[in-house]
Amino acid sequence: MDKIARIDMGAAGGPKVTVEEVGEYAGLGGRALTSLFIAKEVHPLAHPLGAENKLVFAPGMLSGTTGSMTGRLSVGCKSPLTGTIKESNAGGQAAQVLARIGYAAVILEGKPEGDDLYKIIINKDGIQIVVDNSLKLLDNYPLVEKLRGEYGDKVAYITIGTAGERKLLAASIACTDPELRPTRHCGRGGVGAVMGAKRVKAIILDDAGMKMRAPKDPDKYRDANRKFVEGLRKHPVTGEGLPAYGTNVLTNVLNEAGGYPTYNFKTGQFAGSANISGEAQAELEVKRGGSATHGCHRGCVIQCSGIYNDKDGHYLTKQPEYETVWSHGGHCGIDDLDTIARLDFMDDNIGVDTIEMGVTIGVAMDAGIIEFGDKAGAIRLMDEVGKGTPLGRVLGCGAAITGKVFGVERVPVVKDQALPAYDPRAVQGIGVTYATTTQGADHTAGYAIATNILKVGGDVDPLKTEGQIELSRNLQIATAAIDSTGMCLFIAFAIMDQPETFQALLDMLGSFYGIEMTGDDVVALGKKVLSAERDFNKRAGFTKEHDRLPRFFYNEPIAPHNQTFMMKDEELDEVFNW
Amino acid sequence: MPDQSTSGISEEFVSGNSPPLPHLILTVPREQLGEFFIILQQGFTLTARVGGSLQELLCEQLGLSREYVTERITTLFLNGKAIDNLESAIVTDGATVALSAAMPGLVGATMRRGGYYAAMRGAITYQTGDSGTTGGYGTVRIKLFNLLLSELGPDFLQRGIMLPAPMLNAFLKARSTPFWETCGVNGTPIGTRPAQAGTGLPACGMVSLTVQFKEQP
Repeated sequence: MDKIARIDMGAAGGPKVTVEEVGEYAGLGGRALTSLFIAKEVHPLAHPLGAENKLVFAPGMLSGTTGSMTGRLSVGCKSPLTGTIKESNAGGQAAQVLARIGYAAVILEGKPEGDDLYKIIINKDGIQIVVDNSLKLLDNYPLVEKLRGEYGDKVAYITIGTAGERKLLAASIACTDPELRPTRHCGRGGVGAVMGAKRVKAIILDDAGMKMRAPKDPDKYRDANRKFVEGLRKHPVTGEGLPAYGTNVLTNVLNEAGGYPTYNFKTGQFAGSANISGEAQAELEVKRGGSATHGCHRGCVIQCSGIYNDKDGHYLTKQPEYETVWSHGGHCGIDDLDTIARLDFMDDNIGVDTIEMGVTIGVAMDAGIIEFGDKAGAIRLMDEVGKGTPLGRVLGCGAAITGKVFGVERVPVVKDQALPAYDPRAVQGIGVTYATTTQGADHTAGYAIATNILKVGGDVDPLKTEGQIELSRNLQIATAAIDSTGMCLFIAFAIMDQPETFQALLDMLGSFYGIEMTGDDVVALGKKVLSAERDFNKRAGFTKEHDRLPRFFYNEPIAPHNQTFMMKDEELDEVFNW
Repeated sequence: MPDQSTSGISEEFVSGNSPPLPHLILTVPREQLGEFFIILQQGFTLTARVGGSLQELLCEQLGLSREYVTERITTLFLNGKAIDNLESAIVTDGATVALSAAMPGLVGATMRRGGYYAAMRGAITYQTGDSGTTGGYGTVRIKLFNLLLSELGPDFLQRGIMLPAPMLNAFLKARSTPFWETCGVNGTPIGTRPAQAGTGLPACGMVSLTVQFKEQP
């Protein structure tokens, strides 16, 4: 992972590849690399779908090694959805394979003239860019199936569906899982539209002839990885809860807490929640011959994914995650898992973000286009997106656009990105992160809960309400750092509760790169990334007034706790004062 | 994980069928336990001594070991409010108690009892004084989530639970033929799905249900 490939899609005479040394980005990975690169090289006022924008693919610091949980791929650019800097990441096989081929980053630059569609083949011999117009208007599943016929099963694919080709603002970038299904998505922020604007339909990654990346100190790395895995396996969340039920295990708990946004954020509890809970989902998956335990990439210990079969026992989609089940479920008043699974498949196939699309359909329901709870209607709206009809293009551009087109007042977005599945009136602390993150409303921006172990920001009294600003700040710093390692964020539970597991992670990083790493180093990295992202957004025209929730969260109390969002603006403005 | 044998429910204090309610006894193979998860998640009713603390309900009345409650039930709600202190949370007549193991994600950590991120859900945290302190016997609705379904569910089902008749009727109606083929009702094998899956239960009011698990040879 000592080189960077720049692919100028708009070069005279056709796309041109330049490979350079990793240089100032040495030792960086994931979000650190994508964000520092975009902040430096992309004009903040560039049109996100224009030639000035760049799309960076970066594996994590430990991707391509024998280390567990190291398979996240980061994608960075200026977001067409939010207008901010964007990092979106996914599991799947792509990060591992790209890292083993030796690239710290692959960067798409420029924009070709004309309508030709390209595929990029990356292997040990170099990078090939080929026109392939036979791929036009294929969705992700048939697209990968067609590519497999040509490139086989021992590669990883990065693709966009028709939503990306049409440059819809909710478009995602898909990465194939170990079974070569396009189920793992860099979903947020419309990164798929940027790939579509570059006219790149697919990237084929082939690591044949390449070996695992070798650590500086193999013995210490092996030992640290063993301890890390032991820590994950013995923790009740990473060793039991997630493998048994996946992330959808949160449905019952959020609903009980009154923090489960229902009917487009009108109430905090959904009567049909037990029908779509992770517990019900796991039971159904196993009964139908699917699985409730499955890794999204090789080397995953937690295995929080699964296989969802239809009632006849045929594969329908991967196990829908909590946010997906919520956005297409409770948010839209739908309590039928088969409908939700069908919508999840359509999201993956068309290539759109499941959170953005579910929230958008809920906003469309609020507009009266279809009724809340209309299962067939929700599928029909997704069909419109897939076909690229005028209505489908509006919906495919997300909740903010849809709300404006149809005159809806209650549109749950921050910086035009849809809120995830936790109501900020019930869980006020997460509202602080939604409002202030550099990425637009994003639950994962403040997700790395190991701040107490990392000692980010010193000791905070978590039981004081005024501590919420500090907690959100510390969470965002820690998350920026974890996102840069390429580790799955779910490792944070074991790290938080088990200091020896955190030490094992530090030892993995240290022994791989031959350096001594401390918690302070991790914190410094997180701050550096966030500072660069904040600076980019400021130059792009974002001010503190953009760091706010929509007004209805302040004005409309939510049942059952009858709460509004109570954080003051001046408190929100303190989040990035460090 | 704590030994589950310590979680036996005390019949003296808690009963699912102490009032004279229409009573259904189902006999099923243990492999069918998952069929009952929907009832356990939605919540069932028990008679219990009220006016005491949540700690007293769980440990003394329900018979759960302190170790199990401390280490395994890390997320609790009383009437939808997150609990940090089991001893100061008072269980009143008609209360709903939801029990969960540790949850993933930031919000999972936020909901954790006495957790580092408890402040982030301060608006929905149980405060001392949220409940009255009237004593005597009353009813409590219990909800079980995730890992606790299989760990605590069998005990509750075997001892007997109360639930609204429409809920039990809907549950029975939704069972498939393979379930009924392995199931006995009030001591009689069914063999096929009964035409009236409600098996003669009333349409409204409360009913009680006991589930006997038979081990497969």
